[in-house]
Amino acid sequence: MSILNDISENLQRGKAKVVKELIQQALDAGEKPETILSEGLLDGMNIIGAKFKEGTVYVPEVLVAARAMNQGAAMLKPYLEEAGVKSIGRACLGTVQGDLHDIGKNLVKMMLEGKGIEVIDLGTDVAPETFIQTAIEQDCQLICLSALLTTTMGVMGEVVKKAEEAGIRDKVKIMIGGAPVDEAFCRQIGADVYTPDAASAADAAKALLTA
Amino acid sequence: MTNRDRVKAVLNFEMPDDRLPAIEWASWWWDRTIMEWQKQGLPANLGFHDIAPYLGLDQHYQFWLPHRDALCPQPKFFGGPIAEDEEEYEKILPHLYPDGDVDRQLEFMRSLKAGHDAGDYPVWFSLDGGFWFPRTILGIENHLYSFYDQPELYERILNDLAEFQLRQLEKIYSILTPEFMTFGEDMSYNNGPMISEDCFDEFLLPYYNKVVPYIKEHGTKVIIDSDGDISRMVPWLKRVGIEGVLPLERKAGVDVAALREVHPDFLFIGAFDKMTMRESEEAMREEFERLLPVMKKGGFIPSVDHQTPPDCPLERYHIYVDMLKEYGRKAVED
Repeated sequence: MSILNDISENLQRGKAKVVKELIQQALDAGEKPETILSEGLLDGMNIIGAKFKEGTVYVPEVLVAARAMNQGAAMLKPYLEEAGVKSIGRACLGTVQGDLHDIGKNLVKMMLEGKGIEVIDLGTDVAPETFIQTAIEQDCQLICLSALLTTTMGVMGEVVKKAEEAGIRDKVKIMIGGAPVDEAFCRQIGADVYTPDAASAADAAKALLTA
Repeated sequence: MTNRDRVKAVLNFEMPDDRLPAIEWASWWWDRTIMEWQKQGLPANLGFHDIAPYLGLDQHYQFWLPHRDALCPQPKFFGGPIAEDEEEYEKILPHLYPDGDVDRQLEFMRSLKAGHDAGDYPVWFSLDGGFWFPRTILGIENHLYSFYDQPELYERILNDLAEFQLRQLEKIYSILTPEFMTFGEDMSYNNGPMISEDCFDEFLLPYYNKVVPYIKEHGTKVIIDSDGDISRMVPWLKRVGIEGVLPLERKAGVDVAALREVHPDFLFIGAFDKMTMRESEEAMREEFERLLPVMKKGGFIPSVDHQTPPDCPLERYHIYVDMLKEYGRKAVED
């Protein structure tokens, strides 16, 4: 039990190397990979996410913690596959067309992964059609849209329309976030969820996938 | 009252005789806005500095000092690095801190001295700040990791930056005394500061402590330019001698009235919600009504809380300028 706490705590401090060493120790001690994932890595990331949401940790701390989680998760991946452990869902994520800002989008990606969600990162300047095509081909339950510019936020509405035209609107939930958007805009374009920060986005995504 | 004296009065928490300054602080207009306005009748032959007076705004001149030369490597993608570690930083050093480029820019400043002395316009300048500049070198994401991964490199960059800036400040003050200056930082976003107070104190405080006192000694007001919600950072900034902040983005959640209550002695520039400019005349008037009580308290130059967006029609912008002056007059009435 204490080694899982150690993994969680070292992850929160961004100590990727120590996290990997502890994971190896836990595996050697016979700990199940899914337990290491949920009670070590994801527990640590959940705590960081909550602290980020309440404003007691900041962006660099989230980044180094997420890096430790990613390295730990990569190490666990073959063990998890062997054990048949699956993610709780799949999301495609990107910054909308015309917008090249990606730090917010990257934070959301890390937080979603910290909730055990598989994320397909489409990058920045992503066309509405690409979100829809990816959601269909990769069987995504979530489409997550980011925008920083007032001039690009309108593209989010186009994604919602394209999802309707493609006949997948009832199969995917569309989440939006970014500085210029808000709840009213979310309702206006017919998206499903607006969240004001990355940690809230991850909480909302998990709630949607486990509802 | 002259354009320069109006600005000086507000910066000293005094009320101008006639009205508050009417400026667009982001004097580098958004190119898309200008392109749209040219389609709507803005003369295409207006020079960069001629646009503001043409639109009825007060003339002012900003100098953003170059911190790299024209041959400096460019990032391979938006927000990407041009140097990721100390070795790469050393390779690009010949392109950083270009005294010659600054000298050429300051020739233009010299040509403005007579008009500045006569009060025709205020002059201000901008420096890349201790958060912004390393980000342009290391790249947006790598910069945030660098506080943990490469603290020595961060410290070295800020030492080099401070040394360069102090040299340039000496040149500026040999020409004239600008009314105010900004450190370009953008270290907040819509949920507050991007870094913690501890991180600010460890990395940025030593840098500001080197540069800020020299500027203040000469009587120039020191202001931070940071998009996003800067509210929580104001006490940190005050500790290093910063005297004000812009642009106070409404959409990021900044409440200038609440900030004024907590910080009655801090200068504000901006705070006018640019999103209202795409809506209607009524929305803009409502926004000025929101700001008027703060304008009356002094130490505040209302201005668009970033560049005017391209979807504000030129005709509405003219109305905005009229309102800016109307409410600027109301603010100084007894």
